[in-house]
Amino acid sequence: MNVIGIGIAILGVGIGLGLIGNGALQGMARQPEAMSKLQVNMLIALAFAELMGLLAIFILPKA
Amino acid sequence: MAFDFHLMSNLTAAAEGAEHGASFWGLFIYFGLVLAIVIVALSLAKKSFGERVFKARPAQLVEQVYLFIENLCLSTIGPHGKKYVPMIMTFWLVIFVSNFLALFLATSPTADLSFNLAMALMAVGYVQWEGMKAHGVFGHLKHFAGPKLGPAFFIITILLFCIELISEVMKNVSLSLRLFGNIDGGHQAVETMNGLGMHIGGLEWLNIPIGAFLLPIKLLTVVVQALIFCLLTCVYLGMVTSGGHEEEGHGDHAHAH
Repeated sequence: MNVIGIGIAILGVGIGLGLIGNGALQGMARQPEAMSKLQVNMLIALAFAELMGLLAIFILPKA
Repeated sequence: MAFDFHLMSNLTAAAEGAEHGASFWGLFIYFGLVLAIVIVALSLAKKSFGERVFKARPAQLVEQVYLFIENLCLSTIGPHGKKYVPMIMTFWLVIFVSNFLALFLATSPTADLSFNLAMALMAVGYVQWEGMKAHGVFGHLKHFAGPKLGPAFFIITILLFCIELISEVMKNVSLSLRLFGNIDGGHQAVETMNGLGMHIGGLEWLNIPIGAFLLPIKLLTVVVQALIFCLLTCVYLGMVTSGGHEEEGHGDHAHAH
């Protein structure tokens, strides 16, 4: 059962990461001069979205 | 679950009830290796720091790293970010080198939750210290309480204070767990992929190390995780030290960089 839960959690994280990448790439394509700023903010958002998956992986099996 | 932790054992392994990862002294030795690499590289680069133009290759490399970290600090913390460069640089060098070791060796300091937690505690503690230096102890605590709402909303202020306090503690958890999860997860993924390629077709001798093909992704993780740890420390520092007195006037210069 835990494995299914992790799968669902990772599904959500994957969708979130994809959305972040989508938004950042669109922004970079529209405005290449803002690339460095966008990249930094994208990485922060990626880190927060990724953390959810990691929390699921590390905490779910123990609950 | 029985939590049987004593010195000489590994915090992660004890928490999981499993004996994997480096022991206390193993971690010590791996970290010594990391420090040796950092110190040798920096002392090689230091020889030609006296010249007006850096011609030696190590010095050029270290200059690039320095510029990268300085740019990160200036763009994230603000114009007063230059004085935090040494701390961020130390974090970056240690994390990057030990992540890099994780590509080749069985374990590394950053593939261990105890080490990452110690580093996150240092980072968040440093952030608190800098906040207290910038605004005073009381001013720093007031920063947790959110905006001024007046006596009618005293309960909300207390609630906000508690939530901010919890989130401050959770910063340690998120910083350490992110780094640990990425590096240790990379190891486990390689192990699993290697397991897939074992005894193909029922042949005892046919073992293909499929995990080796994960190396490019792990290389990306290595660079990005070292960057993210430093970036988040910078963001926390910027949140705590911003809104200072004389900083408003210099604000426009920061964007010109």
